[in-house]
Amino acid sequence: MRLSRAVFVPVLLAVLGAEAGAQSPSYRAPRTADGKPSLDGIWQAINTANWDLEPHAARPGPLVPLGAAGAVPAGQGVVKGGEIPYQPWALAKRQEHRQNWLALDPEVRCYLPGVPRATYMPFPFRIIQGADTIIVAYEYASAVRTIAMTGAGDPPADAWMGWSQGRWEGETLVVDVRGFTDRTWFDRAGNFHSEALRVVERYTRTGPDAIQYEATIEDPKVFTRPWTIVMPLYRRLEPDVQLLEFKCVEFVEELMYGHLKKGAPR
Amino acid sequence: MSFLITSRRAGLILLFACLAGAAAAQSPDAAAPGGDTPAGAWTAPRTPWGDPDLQGLWTNRTTTPLQRPAHLAHRETLTDIEAAIVDEEVTSRNDRAPAPGNPGTYNQFWWEMGSTVSGNRTSLIVDPPDGRVPPLTPKAVEAILASRAGRGPADSWEDRTLFERCITRGLPGAMIPGFYNHNYQIVQTPGQVAILIEMIHDVRIIPVDGRPHLHPAIRQWMGDSRGRWEGDTLVVETTNFSPKSRSHGFFESAGTLRLVERFTRVAPDTIDYRFTVDDPETYTRPWTAVIPMHRTDERIFEFACHEGNESIPGILGGHRAAEAEAEKEKVKP
Repeated sequence: MRLSRAVFVPVLLAVLGAEAGAQSPSYRAPRTADGKPSLDGIWQAINTANWDLEPHAARPGPLVPLGAAGAVPAGQGVVKGGEIPYQPWALAKRQEHRQNWLALDPEVRCYLPGVPRATYMPFPFRIIQGADTIIVAYEYASAVRTIAMTGAGDPPADAWMGWSQGRWEGETLVVDVRGFTDRTWFDRAGNFHSEALRVVERYTRTGPDAIQYEATIEDPKVFTRPWTIVMPLYRRLEPDVQLLEFKCVEFVEELMYGHLKKGAPR
Repeated sequence: MSFLITSRRAGLILLFACLAGAAAAQSPDAAAPGGDTPAGAWTAPRTPWGDPDLQGLWTNRTTTPLQRPAHLAHRETLTDIEAAIVDEEVTSRNDRAPAPGNPGTYNQFWWEMGSTVSGNRTSLIVDPPDGRVPPLTPKAVEAILASRAGRGPADSWEDRTLFERCITRGLPGAMIPGFYNHNYQIVQTPGQVAILIEMIHDVRIIPVDGRPHLHPAIRQWMGDSRGRWEGDTLVVETTNFSPKSRSHGFFESAGTLRLVERFTRVAPDTIDYRFTVDDPETYTRPWTAVIPMHRTDERIFEFACHEGNESIPGILGGHRAAEAEAEKEKVKP
């Protein structure tokens, strides 16, 4: 029997969804004082999503003196189904970004990373789980956002890290993030969005030291349909581990303002 | 820059309260003059796991300056009427036209100054008794002069403050009220207290679990904080400051600063916050400020500072243009 693609795709998505949800159906997370699953702790992604959300082979980096230390590691990708469903114009724009990565990636200038990129940058982040407010503090650039568990309301203004409303669905923290600027990227491969971005994140504990993280990305101006990334987050287990400062502004001032220094070649 | 104001309406209400009459100009922490815990009645709330509960949204906006103004040298406090006049003066001057040649700054719409702190103190600094930051040590003066010798006001971004560069206000700077966005959110979990600072965006995550400080090789702009509970008070000791803090303006520190802060909930809507700067390398004596924090009901907004920082390229570019102009003048016959 021949399945049409229109039928096949939803069936495939349903199967993948069931698999993701079925990771550790029996695991019940420790509880916070108010009886919610605890996500408290320092977490970090271990993958190459910040290099490229899509499957990619290893490649040389753009700076010759860095040699192997600057090369890009391969990755199997984190997008369900493999590829990001860009509209044709947006795919062309992504390619332009890719050609001009160092000039255009907001990370290079130490700008706030946005969501979900903050989650899988090569830095730890800390979830501080209050009852009404969950603070997510990221080591990179001292970026931070608060997740209101009740009544966040509409975003008051566009924000680099968006405006987050959380709710519990059983064992899962679901965060609806809206109110973004169009100035953040998803990775160093030029993947991007518009200000119409909406991200729905799902954080589910799958064991004492792991969270299953899913983010569904919706942006009708850039993509043909919503798409989802999925990855585990791992607990940082070192004794006495804590977030350290990575206030990167001072590391980019020469790059951004060097031409304005006294005596600089003009 | 995204200088978003969260509590402007509350600020206006406070202003009207001040203008309405001296009696109405009492700050909400009037029950705790100078920040002392009032006798009797009040029992500080506890978290479900038994720690004193400091959680919530707080603001420390005030018209009271950190240091006592020279013309009030011998006055520790103001009368209620004087305080109301100061509050009106501070808020109205923001709407006056700037002097010729001054590009001006935000008007009162953007600023939120609150009112005089309780007890009508003339400075946030309570020790030394003159209400002023004590003199620097000769060694510190020498080091500061050496680091600035031969430099103009804007040869490089390093001649500007960490604040202008959108790096941080450091400590204790980030806990001292500025002109806007002086909002804080405290969230506690067992073994840690997190303080989200709206201005420039910083989160202080303070372990309250007895762990040792970071290795001395790790120096940070915000230092490394450790907390402990003393009765109802959170005592936070911060060390491991960056030696580069020397270059950032008012709070000169050679990285030898030991900052001790105390947070005490003294009323449902008030935290008595005080800090002591202990840095014998830099200051000739320790000094202490008392800054009440009042509950606010508005959420903290994103303060994306560096992302829109036109100040640094504007200031540096302006100086370079002025230098080029001066060069041209020189070669004219």
